[in-house]
Amino acid sequence: MHTTPIIELQDLRVRLGQQEILQGISCCLGVFGTGKAVGLLGPNGAGKSTLILTLLGFHQISAGSARVLGHDCRSHSREIKARIGYMPENEAFIADMTAVHFLRIMGELSGLPQRVALEKAHEVLFHVGLGEARYRTLGTYSLGMKQMAKLAQSILHGPEVLILDEPTNGLDPAARLRMLKLIREMKEEHHMNIVLCSHLLRDVEEVCDEVIILDEGRLVHQANLEEERHTNRRFIELEVTGDDSELADALKEEGAEGVSEGSGRWRIVFPPGMELDVLWQLVARQNLAIHHLTHRRDSLEEIFLKAVGHLDPSEQSTSELTEKETAHDRL
Amino acid sequence: MTVYRRGYNRYQGPITGRLSRLLVLPKYSWHRVLQQRLVVILLIMAMFYPLGCIAFVYLSNHVELLKGFGSGIKDFLEIDGNFFLIFMHVQGIFAIVLTIVSGQKLIAPDLSNGALQLYFSRPLSRADYVLARLLVLLGLLSLITWIPGLLVFSLQSGMAGWSWFAQNWNLGLSVFIGSLLWILLISLIALTCWAYIRRKIMAELSILGVFFVLNAVATIGNNVLGVTWASFFNPRQVIDRIWNGLLGITPESGPAVFGCWIALMVMMTLPLMILTRKLRPVEVVS
Repeated sequence: MHTTPIIELQDLRVRLGQQEILQGISCCLGVFGTGKAVGLLGPNGAGKSTLILTLLGFHQISAGSARVLGHDCRSHSREIKARIGYMPENEAFIADMTAVHFLRIMGELSGLPQRVALEKAHEVLFHVGLGEARYRTLGTYSLGMKQMAKLAQSILHGPEVLILDEPTNGLDPAARLRMLKLIREMKEEHHMNIVLCSHLLRDVEEVCDEVIILDEGRLVHQANLEEERHTNRRFIELEVTGDDSELADALKEEGAEGVSEGSGRWRIVFPPGMELDVLWQLVARQNLAIHHLTHRRDSLEEIFLKAVGHLDPSEQSTSELTEKETAHDRL
Repeated sequence: MTVYRRGYNRYQGPITGRLSRLLVLPKYSWHRVLQQRLVVILLIMAMFYPLGCIAFVYLSNHVELLKGFGSGIKDFLEIDGNFFLIFMHVQGIFAIVLTIVSGQKLIAPDLSNGALQLYFSRPLSRADYVLARLLVLLGLLSLITWIPGLLVFSLQSGMAGWSWFAQNWNLGLSVFIGSLLWILLISLIALTCWAYIRRKIMAELSILGVFFVLNAVATIGNNVLGVTWASFFNPRQVIDRIWNGLLGITPESGPAVFGCWIALMVMMTLPLMILTRKLRPVEVVS
């Protein structure tokens, strides 16, 4: 069984000019081969992109070490690059080249044989939704299409690790959802390890299993979102079939509060410490069948604000209160 | 199954070797370059002089065909170092023009839309990238410089016989080395100009400036100051002295050949350093 971390940083320091951008970051992120996603969060200028570019060997390490898939970024940059796919934040294409031609070149540069590269270029472009536009020059693409083309070139050669820098930048809501769906698919169906750098909490929350928060070049928080998901299940959206007229009272008896939205839809607030099993038993006692159950999690934003110092511990209780009030308002 | 129905599958097959990956960029670049009509026209035009040389070689080995022109014709038709020096000069000028016309699309499009970070996020180093781009120009310019030069030399060797070859083999070697140095210098200077100057016309003018304006400036400098070292700043004069040295021709005056070799090395190292500095996947503003 693999236990190699995707990223391993030890007192990593990166200096650009006179300024030290990364100031001694140490952490181990992800486990290779598990198809897990790691999120890099932080406000603008926190050092997220610098960290990614350092992992790619674009910036010199001034002190400490960085390893990707067990390879040292300084001495084994070529080996690392052969196993990763990178989607940059900024524009990256050749304007007067068709998408299929561009991807073919990128595929061959990654080591795909000529015929396979052409086949894969078509295949990936169809997969990301650019099939019909694959013979158009990249310069004529809209921003959303360019983002998809960038994603396509990063997954073309089937990398083991996919590094995505702000993949949903400039996308409309529909395109954003599609992008996140594709990223999740790479993770879940194709077992790629994802490193997602974003300042959008929602994106990270939807895709990642683990997150680190950077602020002013320092690691200020590391969290396992999977565990967070298990512990934060105060808000529940429930959809049932059957006679649910007694459900509200039954929930009240258990200390939870629920309100019906009609057609079997319920919104429920759990008290701290209450387990989901209670709800299952309660619903079973009422002879109801569950069609849909969703946990609502608003914890990442809280974690993030606390980590970057925009939320005092004293304010946290207020925040929780507000959150509850909001939940009550919703109810 | 048709591609659009297939869906995405991770590639897990064998990958190609480093050399194969290195040749990807030149392969597609040559294809792009040769799609330009002007490049093809120039390539054809650049073949006229070598064709003339082939005719010249043929005639010099069949003097009996030109009996009517008198006995002096034999000296005129001699194939020696001067013959190849003129050949290299003519083809050298074509090489500059062809570089200006063909090379613009090599580096500028990669830089203008940030494609470099995609190249360098793959197993391709900066040195590989520069080498790949150089190979494009070197390959193209070889077609009009040392390849026809060696062809002419081989033809002469074949017609004149073994004794001529044994006496003049260094001419062939000189044509090869001399032309290679020249096209390497042109390519490096041109790539540097295109990397730094985004506007096509300005980049082209700056390349012309390096090869033609510097020539005039160095000549004026030499005349005004009464020295010869100003020629070290003139790539054409530097290469001319080196060619003379390689072909065993003693020029009337000018800077020392050894000094020209050093000047040439400096001229090649400088653009290489500038290129390596410029061709970064990300710009760092400190």
